[in-house]
Amino acid sequence: MAEYADPDVLVSTEWVAEHHGDPTVRIVESNEDRALYTQGHVPGAVEIDWQVDLQDQVVRDYVDRKGFEEICRNNGIGNDTAVIFYGDKNNWWACYAFWVFKLYGHPKCKIMNGGRKKWQLEGRTWSTDRTTYPKTTYSAPEQDGSVRALRDEVLKHQKAGKNLVDVRSPEEYSGERLHMPDYPNEGALRGGHIPGAVNIPWPLSVNEDGTFKSAKELESLYCKANHLQRRSPTIAYCRIGERSSLTWFVLKYLLGFGNVRNYDGSWMEWGNCVGVPIIKGSLPSGEAGDDTTNQDS
Amino acid sequence: METVNERIDQIVEEFVDLDAREKLELLLDFANRLPPLSADYLAKKENEDRRVHECQTSVFLWPEITDGSMHLVAEVAEEAPTVKGFVAILSEAVASRPQNEAQELPDDLLEKMGLADVLGMLRSRGLRAIVSRVRRELVEAE
Repeated sequence: MAEYADPDVLVSTEWVAEHHGDPTVRIVESNEDRALYTQGHVPGAVEIDWQVDLQDQVVRDYVDRKGFEEICRNNGIGNDTAVIFYGDKNNWWACYAFWVFKLYGHPKCKIMNGGRKKWQLEGRTWSTDRTTYPKTTYSAPEQDGSVRALRDEVLKHQKAGKNLVDVRSPEEYSGERLHMPDYPNEGALRGGHIPGAVNIPWPLSVNEDGTFKSAKELESLYCKANHLQRRSPTIAYCRIGERSSLTWFVLKYLLGFGNVRNYDGSWMEWGNCVGVPIIKGSLPSGEAGDDTTNQDS
Repeated sequence: METVNERIDQIVEEFVDLDAREKLELLLDFANRLPPLSADYLAKKENEDRRVHECQTSVFLWPEITDGSMHLVAEVAEEAPTVKGFVAILSEAVASRPQNEAQELPDDLLEKMGLADVLGMLRSRGLRAIVSRVRRELVEAE
């Protein structure tokens, strides 16, 4: 596979630098650390925070349709606007925000390849301006369930032996690392993984400079080393759904998987859920084996 | 010298009337004030396990007592200025104060500063866990 399935979904830092004044484009920053945008952002970018803006503050879910429309209006995003996401941590949170925009069917979404890291490495200018845009109109459809997997769907998927990708670290996957009870930040009562899930830690998808690996490298990792097939329904998960958004993005847009969903409840839900199957150990089936890594690419 | 309580009150005062963006700017100022590790502590970083493993961010903490006075030496990754700023605040609050004032570090510091809503629930919970840990380790340190 020489090229990404959707090569236009990624834009370069150069492209962003050239288009920040383009009225058909809106650059959106979404980070793990909330102070980074204030410290300095790509000129012309707005911040949409995955936690404070995109999540409902009472029910554990995303903002409803009206809430999403409000976010777009307030940031001068119209239905035809091309939204370019970028952020820290190799674009984890940018992919998460991208995924939420796809949940509400926004047609033109892209990722700035390399995120903040690449912008910084290239010595490009950061802005500290308070960036605002005139309000627009925006009309969103209801949520698109085809990108999202809920718990009972995951259970059904697992029972049918379908593809599951656990993108956490090997220690979280095996159940060796579990957050301590005193630190409920993202803790679960049980450690391990969903039976049958292959462990493909997300860092394997990205280069040192934060950009995504080549189509050939990604195909080798996901399809050859880990036997995932483009035609098979696939669900990705992690701890709270942000790393798995990145893997969802890779599988869908870079590798062209036709049916791939993000299980945003992820381990925070599964590891605390009464009665769901869990397995420990370094292999999908949990058996003690010859410790062959499934991460070779 | 003010007590931990008084210092916390003063810091809270600085934050409370600012808008979200200004609060983050002030937090960044605190972050810039956290001194880099000395050669001694860089060596300790290699030899001791002082990393906060529960944290996704790279955070190293040394809550210590010297002659009855508290010090919090810390290193936080540059890419986490929120955490760095918050740890800097804790460090300034306890610096050179007697150990019995460790209890004055409040669990609801983020709420008092008006930062909890700006940061969101998950981040706030993580930072609250840092306060808890620092307080506990200072209380227990010898």
